[in-house]
Amino acid sequence: MEMKNISIKGIPNEEFNENEYLENYIEELKANGVNIVLSNLDDMINWGRSNSIWPLIFATSCCGIEFMSAAAAHHDIARFGMEVTRNSPRQADLMLVAGTIVHKMAPLLKRVYDQMAEPKYVLAMGGCAISGGPFVNSYHVVNGVDEIIPVDVYVPGCPPRPEALFYGLLQLQRKIKVEEFLKRPGKKKSKKSE
Amino acid sequence: MENIKQIIVDLLPEAVFEEKEKLTVIVEPTDLRRLIKLLYDNKDLPFDYLVYLIGMDWGEKLGVIYLLSSSTDTSKEIVIKTGTADRENPLLYTVTDFYETAHLNEREVYAMYGIRFINNPDMRRFLLNDDWVGFPMRKDYDGDPAINPVSVVSKDIIDKAPRIMETPEGLKEEIVNVFEPDDYLINIGPQHPSTHGVMHFRTALNGEVVKKIDIHSGYIHRGIEKLSESLMYPQILHFTDRLDYLSANINRHALCMCVEKAAGIEVPLRAQYIRTIMDELNRMSSHLLAWSAQTNDLGATTAFIYGMREREMILDIFDKTCGGRLIINQNVIGGVMFDIYADFQKDVKAFIPYMREKLKEYDRFFSHNVIALGRMVKIGILSRQDAISYGVTGPAGRASGWACDVRKYQPYALYDQVEFKEIIRNESDSYARYLNRLDEIEESLKIIEQLIDNIPEGEHLAKTKAIIRLPEGEYYQGVEAGKGLFGVYIESRGDKTPYRLKFRSPSLSLVSVMPLICKNEKISDFIGIGGSMDYVIPDIDR
Amino acid sequence: MFLVVFLASILLVVAGLGMAILLSPKSFNPQKGEPYECGIPTHGTSWMQFKAGYYLYAILYLMFDVEAIFLFPWATIVRELGLPGLSSILFFLLILWLGLAYAWRKGVLVWK
Repeated sequence: MEMKNISIKGIPNEEFNENEYLENYIEELKANGVNIVLSNLDDMINWGRSNSIWPLIFATSCCGIEFMSAAAAHHDIARFGMEVTRNSPRQADLMLVAGTIVHKMAPLLKRVYDQMAEPKYVLAMGGCAISGGPFVNSYHVVNGVDEIIPVDVYVPGCPPRPEALFYGLLQLQRKIKVEEFLKRPGKKKSKKSE
Repeated sequence: MENIKQIIVDLLPEAVFEEKEKLTVIVEPTDLRRLIKLLYDNKDLPFDYLVYLIGMDWGEKLGVIYLLSSSTDTSKEIVIKTGTADRENPLLYTVTDFYETAHLNEREVYAMYGIRFINNPDMRRFLLNDDWVGFPMRKDYDGDPAINPVSVVSKDIIDKAPRIMETPEGLKEEIVNVFEPDDYLINIGPQHPSTHGVMHFRTALNGEVVKKIDIHSGYIHRGIEKLSESLMYPQILHFTDRLDYLSANINRHALCMCVEKAAGIEVPLRAQYIRTIMDELNRMSSHLLAWSAQTNDLGATTAFIYGMREREMILDIFDKTCGGRLIINQNVIGGVMFDIYADFQKDVKAFIPYMREKLKEYDRFFSHNVIALGRMVKIGILSRQDAISYGVTGPAGRASGWACDVRKYQPYALYDQVEFKEIIRNESDSYARYLNRLDEIEESLKIIEQLIDNIPEGEHLAKTKAIIRLPEGEYYQGVEAGKGLFGVYIESRGDKTPYRLKFRSPSLSLVSVMPLICKNEKISDFIGIGGSMDYVIPDIDR
Repeated sequence: MFLVVFLASILLVVAGLGMAILLSPKSFNPQKGEPYECGIPTHGTSWMQFKAGYYLYAILYLMFDVEAIFLFPWATIVRELGLPGLSSILFFLLILWLGLAYAWRKGVLVWK
């Protein structure tokens, strides 16, 4: 498929900085034989899914408070459909890892991630979740959540402002809109030589 | 304090006194308990308040430093040091029968230094997993990541507590069960919306009623104290913001004051004014979030939105001053980093009447609501004696009738030049703690009103050297953070990095008292009490 | 008419569940089967003796919920039934109020 305008209501395609990433993502998927012909049904399903993501807040420290500020009235997260914060992984789509993950917490993170139902996404919020942050030299800190679970979007900052978090969430919405939801059965994947 | 010194010399002639600004005495481990009992039972000035308990590695000795104070007069302090030269199996005597706050502190010293305390009823490691190899805060700790790798396999928690008891035959090591064998245990766990962070309460329930709570901590233990030993003082400043992040400015103020006191740096008056005003704004934003979180825990989500709305106005002021909302990088060693912006006084003066009106609105729609009263009045009673013994300071301690405001009794910055009331209530329940916070917001508004028009001209930052070396010695500074007494202890050996840095955490006391006050309350009330105590978890785990 | 409603209800349920089964991604790992307890493995079994208070609470709620359901159809035709209807519904409610008074007196409404 050509890079059709993956648009979010109100923000045109050109205003995002990471369009190149999405184009590369689509290229890589096409090279591996995944069909990205998004039919109208897929479009509709993806529109529904991206506009009502239910976050599971895994707020361990300071970034959790900035998430609470983002969810409160001034910077409203409800306008993106994400105000329903489910604390049980069974009912959530997106795991927002906000804060430092330490050695003692790592098994819990993996367990809660495993207990979430597909399709699931992970957003690493703040410097600590991305790479260990200011505590990178500590004996008890995991240097980045992506050592344990796969991450979709990284939102840097210490802590990131609510507006930065929203940018990350919008990127996630665009990533979801590219996905192919209805799998065609019996499609062979031709592996390109790595 | 002279007669205190005399009494100690009478009891223990071989005690060594050090020449420090506070009365400091070094005793052998076998004499420690007699000394503490003498001070605890003292008639005129009973030393019944243990401010901090710090584990130390002095190179040749491993030991503990205690700071004792009196609940009736918190400006009288005495420092007691004790140590043992045995590094293979260091043993010291416990003080948990005098001060309940020593339970968790001694467990932490065991985890960090390996010192075990005789007669402590529960000697598990506090912040680290039981299978952690090594004792991190010791100077010869091997920090190789291969020794303690990250494990993603969940381990079952074994509820057995080892301890060492002293019997007439000698020292006996035994293992006791924490819970009864047929208890119904649930984990009010780390990943929970109402535990204000990652706190793990392992709870034994009897139907809806809580029977026993066991605190497991360390899920956000970042090793800040160990990291600080290899960083210079201006670099350590950014850790204090990330402890109790709601009182970020106030915590930073404590560390800056400690370093300035030690290095002899004089802070200009304009910077003192700005620091005090920003501290009080920070205290208000902390109490507003505490109010929002408490009402959210009780179920009133609308009140959460209201409190956060007011808090956003304060955060806008912070944002325009120094660029940060939650993590405010304003206080530095020698003053404040940024001078106030042009409209600062106008914005703050516009905020004060708006906040007063909102306090009345909160009172009208929440504080006398029959459901709120039913869930807060006479729930979670913490007696004054328990508050002192557990070291609960801040609005929670003052709700139990204990006058412990650091701003009044050991004033710093400009608190001795402003008039404000110390809010003390005697009912000791959740409702008293709730009302204390709202009243403290009003007092903060009064303090700001007295200061906002009189900011003098001058420098906002004193000139300091690029590399700050503190002279040899021990320095301590306590401030009144939003949750209680936050203290910074620095021991310096003349280097540009500290030899030992310890943060005395108010939230550790607040959470250590939860097993006591939540016994025989329903589980929904347990969440409400947690909201009223308002602890912040990274402060506990550091 | 009844047949249409019956068939429509069956169709709705089958369509909803069927779409979910056909279209959803399939993935299972052993952690998904375990109960969620804030990330920590659970302790002990849940097959134990629970307090009788839970049962009483549930039964009382059920009774008064069913009573409310009975009140709804009466409320739609209250004007047509007039006074005889009112008296018969009051008789029904009186029996339930007697039961409530008994429970109140016995102290069931306070959790022990």
